[in-house]
Amino acid sequence: MRLRFLITEAFVNLRRNALMVLGAVLAVFVTILLIFGALVIREVVRLTTVFWEDGVRVLAFVNDDLSPSGVDALIREVEGWDGVASVRFVTKAEAYQEALEIFEGQDFNLRTIEENPSILPASVRITPDNVDLYQEIEDRLRAHPAVIRATSPGAGLERMIAIRDFLTQVTLVVVIGLAVSAIVLIANTIRLAIYARREEVGIMKLVGASNWFVRIPFLLEGLIEGLIGGALAAGLVIGLWRLGVKTRLDELPNLIRFDISDQFLTQWAVILVLLGGFVGVLGSGIALRRFLREA
Amino acid sequence: MIRLQNVSKVYDGGVVALKDVSIEVQKGEFVFLVGPSGSGKSTMIRLVLREEPATSGDIWMAGKHISAIAPWKVPYVRRSVGTVFQDFKLLPSKTVAENVAFALEVIGRPRSVIRSQVPQVLKLVGLSAKADRFPLQLSGGEQQRVSIARAFVNRPLILLADEPTGNLDPATSVGIMRLLDRINRTGTTVVMATHDHAIVDAMRRRVIQLERGRVVRDQSRGVYEGHVTEDVLNDDDSVEA
Repeated sequence: MRLRFLITEAFVNLRRNALMVLGAVLAVFVTILLIFGALVIREVVRLTTVFWEDGVRVLAFVNDDLSPSGVDALIREVEGWDGVASVRFVTKAEAYQEALEIFEGQDFNLRTIEENPSILPASVRITPDNVDLYQEIEDRLRAHPAVIRATSPGAGLERMIAIRDFLTQVTLVVVIGLAVSAIVLIANTIRLAIYARREEVGIMKLVGASNWFVRIPFLLEGLIEGLIGGALAAGLVIGLWRLGVKTRLDELPNLIRFDISDQFLTQWAVILVLLGGFVGVLGSGIALRRFLREA
Repeated sequence: MIRLQNVSKVYDGGVVALKDVSIEVQKGEFVFLVGPSGSGKSTMIRLVLREEPATSGDIWMAGKHISAIAPWKVPYVRRSVGTVFQDFKLLPSKTVAENVAFALEVIGRPRSVIRSQVPQVLKLVGLSAKADRFPLQLSGGEQQRVSIARAFVNRPLILLADEPTGNLDPATSVGIMRLLDRINRTGTTVVMATHDHAIVDAMRRRVIQLERGRVVRDQSRGVYEGHVTEDVLNDDDSVEA
């Protein structure tokens, strides 16, 4: 009885100021959309650069036949080169463990690796101290007899990381601004709702309705607005991903990894929808503090 | 049932609405609050309802020290008071029965209680036949009956009425007074602020007269125009303070 009364009241408010509510919902929608978009871009960059952790920029797979002393000799030699800051050796066993993590969630790749644990070669990973010398180091490694294959992300990686950092900062600023306006817009819809119902609120207070009983319909309204905005944004991102990217993974450039896991998307979708709801409750809370006393 | 002890109320800007008022109303009493506009009648009712706090002094209502109570408890104290106003304060979009039921719904009474109490109280105020009408389809007297029904449906210990007959013609007013008298005879304490000489003189109940925020007369079985102590009326500092 009580619950139905409160929920009905909240929905009556939503209908009464449809246009204002639409504005508030849109503000939450855009806010959450930007946050989700930025998170997806970060995830793409993270997946793409997962090999290139902590400054490692040149990678050389070594011949399986190479003896331990041959490995030592190779490391010492490379350490002597111009532009090399440090060298790390990754054994076949370590490479296997690493691959299990990198390909987590990708069943086909995982199965291939698990069936052939020794398929992954050992490697040396070089952290250069000079961006201009990437190519030279890579070429010298490629020419080395102990090396099967050498690879470097080149300057593209640095650019990608720079773009990610720039986007993160811009998004942060924009999102803070948008979140504030979303809260203000929701507060405004709640203010209108309080105004529209000032007579009812007055009578409720007069006959002794508890403070929470008076507030809950308004808080629910804010919550609903926030949840709808968040759900629309999360739905759009996931929908675009499913239809626009996931079905076309083969056509997309191989250099960048778009294969974000479903778990990543659903997990963040839930968090962000809840964040939208929180923004809504916050906005109505502000409106209640400011306007309910006078109602 | 209601006790004010040395209560003063000064509004922002220095307007003194009540000055050092001490009165006590016993359970089951019927009390008229009289005095000209601005004498402090409505302020007294608002203070007893704790719609605003007193500037100084103590107020007890239904056994609760309401001038010292936590704000969140105020709604629960109000449930033991019913209030009736000059302007009825009915919700135009709800029917008579819904208006009365609203008072029970918002304090979380179960549906079974609402279903039994609303028809009962509508019968008491003589509006059983009009339960499904809307307030604007009723006469002023009928609307006031609805608002009395709403105030009484929760069986409060106290009924506060602020000029309940202010908008009504004399004949209708008599009907409202009969209703309030009947409610009073169920043991409910009734405090009624009024300008209506005829009603006060006819009922011969306790009369508390306010002038410029002070109690100038407190008389059992009084009439509207009573003898007022001269020195109290001439004490003009209440206006300048």
